[in-house]
Amino acid sequence: MEDWALSEVNLTVAEGEYLLIAGASGSGKSTFCRLATGLAPHFHGGDLKGRVLVDGLDTREVPVSRLFGQVGLVFQNTDAQLFNRTVEEELVFGLEGLGLEPAEIEKRLQWVSGLLKLGPLLERPPHQLSGGEKQRVVLGAILALRPRLLLLDEPFAHLDPEGSEGLRSLLKTLRGKGPAVVVVEHRLQDVVADVDRLVLFHQGRLTADGPPRQVLEQELTGYGLNLPALVGLFRAWGLDGPPPLTPLEAIQLLASGPPRRFSQTKRTKLREAGSPPSARNSNDIPVVEIQDLWFSFPGQPVLKGVDFSLWPGECAAILGRNGSGKTTLIKHLNGLLKPSRGRIMVLGRDTRVTKTHELARRVGFAWQNPNDQLFQTSVREEVLIGPRILKAYDPPWCERLFERFGLGPLLDRSPFRMSEGEKKRVSFATALAVQPELVILDEPTAGQDEPFRRELGGLIRELREEGKTVLLVTHDLEFAEEQAPRWLVLAGGRIIADGSPEAIMADRQAMAAGGLRPTQRFELVQLLGNLA
Amino acid sequence: MKPLLLDPRTKLVLAFTAAVILVSFDQGLTLLVAAAVIWGVTLPLNLVTSWFKFFRGLGPAVFGFFAIAWLAFDLPTALVSGLRLLALGTVFFLFFQTTSPKNLSKALVQMGLPYAFSFVLTVSMEFIPVLTRRAANIRDAQRARGIPVGVGWRGIRYLSALLGPLLIQAFKLADEMAEALEARGFGAPGRRTRQELPLRALDWGIISLSLIGLATLLFLKYIYH
Repeated sequence: MEDWALSEVNLTVAEGEYLLIAGASGSGKSTFCRLATGLAPHFHGGDLKGRVLVDGLDTREVPVSRLFGQVGLVFQNTDAQLFNRTVEEELVFGLEGLGLEPAEIEKRLQWVSGLLKLGPLLERPPHQLSGGEKQRVVLGAILALRPRLLLLDEPFAHLDPEGSEGLRSLLKTLRGKGPAVVVVEHRLQDVVADVDRLVLFHQGRLTADGPPRQVLEQELTGYGLNLPALVGLFRAWGLDGPPPLTPLEAIQLLASGPPRRFSQTKRTKLREAGSPPSARNSNDIPVVEIQDLWFSFPGQPVLKGVDFSLWPGECAAILGRNGSGKTTLIKHLNGLLKPSRGRIMVLGRDTRVTKTHELARRVGFAWQNPNDQLFQTSVREEVLIGPRILKAYDPPWCERLFERFGLGPLLDRSPFRMSEGEKKRVSFATALAVQPELVILDEPTAGQDEPFRRELGGLIRELREEGKTVLLVTHDLEFAEEQAPRWLVLAGGRIIADGSPEAIMADRQAMAAGGLRPTQRFELVQLLGNLA
Repeated sequence: MKPLLLDPRTKLVLAFTAAVILVSFDQGLTLLVAAAVIWGVTLPLNLVTSWFKFFRGLGPAVFGFFAIAWLAFDLPTALVSGLRLLALGTVFFLFFQTTSPKNLSKALVQMGLPYAFSFVLTVSMEFIPVLTRRAANIRDAQRARGIPVGVGWRGIRYLSALLGPLLIQAFKLADEMAEALEARGFGAPGRRTRQELPLRALDWGIISLSLIGLATLLFLKYIYH
């Protein structure tokens, strides 16, 4: 039997419709995008049975160079889509390709830069923009072409909460006015409340299609979807019927049901959600102690007096906007960067005078992009090279790690031939191979599906039970709420809030300054509190 | 980038004329005058500081060339060779300081060069900062697990830890970019630029004068004598 990326798919998207296509990694979502734009089979090759029609044009017959005016795709990697010197040149690139008159190009440039508020960015080089700004530019470059169909492949994966909210409201404004919009995601929460239809792909097949509430009412376990927190809660409570998509809907549903539908026990459980804080002994010494940390890149101050400590067995999350200095801060914890002013002690060592390779034995890093470190010919060598260089190779521990991350069958495979999820697992194993006391996870859930998130949650709990300290850097507040009982909000180069997720989310000023939005669970608790 | 009112094609002709003159004439005085005129152009364009920065890079090559020519031939030959290299460098410095890659690309297309070729020229310059940033990320990721990338003798041993991921990411980026370009109409027939750059009377005048001047000088040097 042939191995089809997609099979027996029948789907029609109407003019002005807003669709969410969801599915786990490998479910065929990205292949769908390539088919709809004609990139498959024209660019990628492959076998195509059946027909794909865009605005009446058969994508098999019409080349991509003619289809691009009808259908536009925003890819996941914005860097690869920005190839001009300025934002303005980026916006007119496709228009020049259409062969439009200069006056018409000018008109559309004005229109799209007004619509997406790109005016102040027009002269800037695209590569100097933030992730959210880059995405707006790519979106603008496509919208300027006035396509009939706009596809966005996992557009929320690398945005901070503020960027996500901006994109969400932008897509809402397009609804019904311009092109049909198709968002492809495995993280449903960001847009599911806004869309007209939810389509599910599973193992290359279209398994559900309908209004979001109707689709989410079905049994979806095993689909690998990141379901919205509210849907998960309603299922866990055994409530039937279409699930709510917003906290307000949830309250209305609960209010309309039988009086004992939402018992006091459930209310209490809802408030207690998340991981408990670690118990601290009086003789514990901090794993990390940061005192008045200041740091600048040439002409650009980034950290302006950061103070905090981390304790054994603790899991803390650093939150904040893209560009707020989170990565700069964590690079200080193993001496990759040295403070301009102030002091950092990691396990009793002053990072100003301790070499990075000495700290690397005690501080394990798993970076957002696992491709930044893969260079060996086999997974085994990739994981073991760090401990061997650092003279910290412990064979039984490494065997445990291989088992823990399910790498046993993959040990002799080239890491380059693995899926992105498998590469992530290799990068976690490399971070833990030297048995570090402090583990730093940089955006560990970005672009990952639900099975991976669950596995990662289990790993963090195991590490904490072993007394390790875990520091998360993340935009995924739902995950941070589940795993990290302590949140640190970084804004303007300082830690502006340090406390439990509930305390931080209740602090509106800190949330606004950090560009954060409360989780659905928290909003529901607040609304319930108002009702009581 | 200092704007100069001349069309990039006019500047290309001027640069070509200057280069031919500098290569064709080997009398010290003629070269000195030509070099002084070329350098003098930096004054009204307010490029003197930039030129000194540029000279910091070109200077060692000029002195090296001068020293080799002196050792191999004699002092006058060395002086002429050094001066010629410096003047040629200044010509290209002036050209690139006053012409953006995009305008150069447009001009080349208008001169008949295929669009794909000129686009590759300009886009490759845009991706240098992206790859530089990625190289820094890779170096940090490797150092964070104890691999001494770029540090002393051991750094050379583990150069593959930097180059391997960088090359793979560069190939991946090139692949993704090719796909994105295709999807944004790169191969579409009938592409036209938003702002056509017409050659004005001033450009035509300067091009004509340059070419007539060059032809006259070459005639005097090679045929009249």
